[in-house]
Amino acid sequence: MSILYDEGQQAIATESRRVLDARTSKQRLLALLEQTGTFDQPFWDTAVEQGWTALAIPEAHGGLGLGLVELGLVAQATGAATAGAPFLTPGYGLALAIMGSGNADIQAQWLPRLAAGEILGVVALAEGTAPLPTRPAVRYAGGALNGTKHAVPGGLKADIALVWAEADGAPALVLAELAGAARTPVESFDNTRLYADLTFAGTPATVLAAGAAAKALALEILARMAIVTAHEQVGGAEALMLTARDYALTRRAFGQPIGAFQSVKHRIAELYGLVEIARANCIHAAGLADGGQADLTALMIAAADARLGATETYDTCARDCVQVHGGIGVTWEAGIHLHMRRTRSLAIELGNMLFWEDLLVENLTGVAA
Amino acid sequence: MSEFEAFRLRAHDWLASVAGTFGKAARKGLSEAEDLALGRRYLAARFDAGFAGINWPKEIGGQGLSHIEKVVFDTEEMAFGMPTVYFGISLGMPVPILIRFGEDKAWVKERVIAALRGEEIWCQLFSEPAGGSDLAGLRTRAEPDGNGWKLNGQKLWTSWAQYSDYGVIVARTDPTQPKHKGLTYFWVDMRAKGVEVRPIKLAGGDSHVNEVFFDDVRLDDSQRMSPIGGGFGVAMTTLMIERYVATDSGGFGPPLDLFVDLVKGLEINERPALNDGRVRSAIARNHAMRAGLESITARAMQMLQAGMEPGPEGSLNKLVSVRSRQKLSELAIDLQGNLGFAFDEHAPVKDNWTTSWINAPTGRIAGGADEMLLNTIAEKILGLPQDHRPDKGVPFNQIPA
Repeated sequence: MSILYDEGQQAIATESRRVLDARTSKQRLLALLEQTGTFDQPFWDTAVEQGWTALAIPEAHGGLGLGLVELGLVAQATGAATAGAPFLTPGYGLALAIMGSGNADIQAQWLPRLAAGEILGVVALAEGTAPLPTRPAVRYAGGALNGTKHAVPGGLKADIALVWAEADGAPALVLAELAGAARTPVESFDNTRLYADLTFAGTPATVLAAGAAAKALALEILARMAIVTAHEQVGGAEALMLTARDYALTRRAFGQPIGAFQSVKHRIAELYGLVEIARANCIHAAGLADGGQADLTALMIAAADARLGATETYDTCARDCVQVHGGIGVTWEAGIHLHMRRTRSLAIELGNMLFWEDLLVENLTGVAA
Repeated sequence: MSEFEAFRLRAHDWLASVAGTFGKAARKGLSEAEDLALGRRYLAARFDAGFAGINWPKEIGGQGLSHIEKVVFDTEEMAFGMPTVYFGISLGMPVPILIRFGEDKAWVKERVIAALRGEEIWCQLFSEPAGGSDLAGLRTRAEPDGNGWKLNGQKLWTSWAQYSDYGVIVARTDPTQPKHKGLTYFWVDMRAKGVEVRPIKLAGGDSHVNEVFFDDVRLDDSQRMSPIGGGFGVAMTTLMIERYVATDSGGFGPPLDLFVDLVKGLEINERPALNDGRVRSAIARNHAMRAGLESITARAMQMLQAGMEPGPEGSLNKLVSVRSRQKLSELAIDLQGNLGFAFDEHAPVKDNWTTSWINAPTGRIAGGADEMLLNTIAEKILGLPQDHRPDKGVPFNQIPA
């Protein structure tokens, strides 16, 4: 459902961008790339201070009671800034699972703290190449988890995790406190994502959803997180497109700005097209999700459209932005590689293109891959 | 229900009620002459039903409604495959220009109603052998002749000129001025002495475009629709008239559902083609792209309804959709293997992958080539500089050929 942003939503977009512009430092982010196990604390303090952690949590649980449209706009701003902490989207995914559990005690225990940014939540559904495995290897039995989730985004610093685990022969959504879990950091090309292997050995855990309800809830969480991430990718893509445009206006060669050459200006115009089409899919998907009328199939289709468009767009903008810059584009100092790195981490974290292509076609035609 | 939704339902009901007489099924197997005759009858019926000239003033025969109702009606109409193609240019560009710049209002009203009823057709005589994308490079000349003008030269790619009663034309009236400044805008009687129309057969087999020759064609000065030397400005106005038009995310080719239907009946390596990753990827990528274009259109409509100016992203539709239609059509043919060779040049492009494919290049050139659209996006939206233009400011007759 396409929507026009209202004044409040436009203010969120402008304000989040303004705050991040003022407080993000390329030098700081570049330094973090060379350290495993650290993230951009000033960014996270800003996110908490601005109430971004509370945006999409209901007011009854200490949140602001807004939706994906607003969270998406913030994510767009964080994407433009290559924000250096992976907790905004996963924290939202975890909150969705807790809300979806219908368990009032668990909601009262965790949602206000997630909203206040006091604890960091992550989502550990994937195993190996499968974003949502049919038979997860991590097992839940008798109130405890056993097994390993590899390279969980945010896993190194998180306090609690949503885990996709086998329980009584079927996958379930399980909430685990990570105090007792072992964490092994993953050396990565995008280190502020805090990837870590989480190994559970009798770790205390609570089932949030089991059986058919677990699969449906997991898909919905994946779809909604994908919509937020698509906004983040579009924010990054747009920033790259504008960076390329600005450089093409100032850099001169053969007696004129390089932006006068069709080989360059057409490349940037194509990026504009990709960005606007991807953005339109994001707006549609967020509006549809917030409208509350859509069934799971419609939501999956909208999320897949948003995700596919955003991933392709962010990748293309990164490739072409570097290319337009020529030699300067491949230097450490120019920092375009902050986005390049982020294109890959975001392309994988919520399920890769192959996964979403198959899921989209399955939802369109009823035929699974 | 909003007033626009009520209008949409009313339009849909009327279109459905006449679809059996004028729609896709009724047109099947007709010759072009028969189809054109059917189209004229459809336009008369549309006029009588109150769905003609939707956003034009009532005083000249329109309905006095907004852009929104116009786009709503066109979108509904497109789905029925009505025989409107012969009148698209006529009612889209020349007649609105006539309404705006025609001096003799009574005569204009007669022409407008005749055009809306499909009794008369207007063509737009812009492109030439030496000026397509570079419109201002045109060479057809109008020289002063008594109290009027004498027209000589050649136009090219003129859609439906062979059926046209009138045309609008841009001609050079002063070759000593820089190229944009020496042009003047006229209307011309296509039946006048010295006008010769020669249809051009296109690669797909049809002939909707023409060469038009002018040999000492006499124009009265009352046929002039711009100041002398002000023709380029009026021509540019043409491009602004219908900024918000009904779009088709399928690039005016077959919808994606038709691709899925085709694939469901096919195999790759003796396994169902729909399970093949390459096919699934093509469906998914095209769906994402088309859904994005449709969301852009939906948002533009919401902006219009809210009294806002839609964003420039609306200009992406033709560029993106026709290109993707071309590639998807290639894939649809290839997937059929030896069954893909069959070809019926008269099959409608919206239902048939082969005619869609062979006619797709026309869509990427007509009405603004892809490269010109990219220039426009780069310059007007992103603020990038124009290309180096060696002919800028140079008197037309001193530009090296």
